[in-house]
Amino acid sequence: MKRLWTTFRYTYAGLRGQILAWGLGLAIYGLLIVPMYDSLFAKQDTFQKMLASYPPEFLAFFGADTTSMLTPGGFLGMYAFSMMPVIIGIFAVMAGSSLIIGDEERGRLDLILAHPVGRTSFFFGRTLGILGATMSIMVLGWAGFSILLGGSSLGFNLAQMAVPFLPLLVQILLYVTLALMLSLLLPSRNLAAMIAGAVMVASYFISSMAFMDERVQAVSNLMPYHYFQTVLSFDELNLTWLLALLGISAVMTVFAWLRFLRRDIRLTGEGSWRMAFLFRRRNRV
Amino acid sequence: MNGKSTIVPNSEVALQVQGLTKSYGKVRALRGINLEVKRGEIFGFLGPNGAGKTTTIRCLLDMIRPDGGSALLLGLDPQSNQVAVQARTGYLPGEMQFFDNLTAERQLHFFSDMRDGRAEWSFVRDLAGRLDLDLKQPIKNLSKGNKQKVAVTQAFMHRPELLLLDEPTSGLDPLMQQEVLGLLREANAAGATVFFSSHIMSEVENVAGRVAIIRSGEIVEMAETGSLIRRTLNRITVRFKQPVKVAEFASLPGVEVISQTGQNSITLQVAGDMEILVQTLGRLPVLDLETDRPSLEEVFLTYYKN
Repeated sequence: MKRLWTTFRYTYAGLRGQILAWGLGLAIYGLLIVPMYDSLFAKQDTFQKMLASYPPEFLAFFGADTTSMLTPGGFLGMYAFSMMPVIIGIFAVMAGSSLIIGDEERGRLDLILAHPVGRTSFFFGRTLGILGATMSIMVLGWAGFSILLGGSSLGFNLAQMAVPFLPLLVQILLYVTLALMLSLLLPSRNLAAMIAGAVMVASYFISSMAFMDERVQAVSNLMPYHYFQTVLSFDELNLTWLLALLGISAVMTVFAWLRFLRRDIRLTGEGSWRMAFLFRRRNRV
Repeated sequence: MNGKSTIVPNSEVALQVQGLTKSYGKVRALRGINLEVKRGEIFGFLGPNGAGKTTTIRCLLDMIRPDGGSALLLGLDPQSNQVAVQARTGYLPGEMQFFDNLTAERQLHFFSDMRDGRAEWSFVRDLAGRLDLDLKQPIKNLSKGNKQKVAVTQAFMHRPELLLLDEPTSGLDPLMQQEVLGLLREANAAGATVFFSSHIMSEVENVAGRVAIIRSGEIVEMAETGSLIRRTLNRITVRFKQPVKVAEFASLPGVEVISQTGQNSITLQVAGDMEILVQTLGRLPVLDLETDRPSLEEVFLTYYKN
């Protein structure tokens, strides 16, 4: 337990640059977007005329319409949170894919695992570290969105402002664990990040296109973004979706852990395409 | 190495390896390694690049999983007792990489923390002083040799019972090589068992009590260093009072003509028994005779002649 905590501490400390960069970036965006609502609300007639001139498909792509965009929830959903899973998802796929394999490809994992930490403690120490980092980014973002709430006509309190960060956190964790799992299955971190990133972007576009074309709906139902909500009320949160996505993340994490327990550690660099059987016995005598 | 080891633990043996095999696809890196390293000895592991030295050591530390065979380190199976083995072992990899943005001191603190802070920091400073290592320098600013010093320090700093060192003096200048060999001897004198691989035959010869030579994934020889040298080869330079024919020696079993200086001086290498050569020399007008103990390098190279 002590070594798991040591691994967690060092992982979290190692991610502090990313926590500050992404968290403060999100916070600054919040500081800019919250006061913008008041400007928009003051000119809503002009804004509505502008929206009416857009093709309906354009607004549908973002899951919005001319009236919902002017409501506080619709405004934040459209301008603040709709693209967050993709933007913060960049952190998710990069950090997730390099969580274990980054050290292996740089030739450091050998020596780390030569210390009495155990692969399980090391794996979960690292995983908890990135979980902590992701939550810290969300907290910083929430703080940025909350600072100017009092003076805004959005009409939300601090607790309501935290609500959309929950589905966002769950989406990010999904991509972290996907990238992590792929990094342990595929020959290289780059490939894992690419595929996880492609899934993330495809998920966003397919889910958005489903608003415009019902024929895409069936595929959209398989995409993580389809289950992303930008609501600002806890009562409107679909807990089943949240828990299901967390469950999928947990399954991918366990899968990644089992793979890590059984695979050989490379000295350095990327692996080959010769993929060992996932659950091969440790020793064929 | 699956918790059902076929090796019977022996308290006098630090390292027991039996039938270790490992393949990478079609490449058979280890073809049945058998080794036994007694507690308290310094054991040299010799082999050229690609022979299987690093693969063997990494199997012992559970970095890679062998395809077959068994191993015990300090009486423990490294797969089922990984943490216990690594707590008592110091490892120096052949290729060292660190967290470049950390200072040497911070990097060593990390390794110490991974061992629950077992390293005495006064000892770490002592090691750094002896190796002339500036602990305040960022790793990224260190030369290859200085990084190797950090690697050596992290292997020794927690005073392990068993040291597994893959080319411990690589990249170091001759003075530091001697310092590291001194550390090795001191650790051994304090009771540690040392298992190290090297290309530098002279240091293996000076430090190791026993050596094993590995070739293409198999141990081809294992013996005490001195007896290996004595048993295997002798080099003799003979000066004659008058010219002799080289052919007279070339046909003798176990004798190889190394060189001839003029027509009166000849250097021979003899494997095994010298009786036939001595009898042959007895019939010739010998002026003087000089024998050379071959170096371990020459012994090593005979295993790679073909």
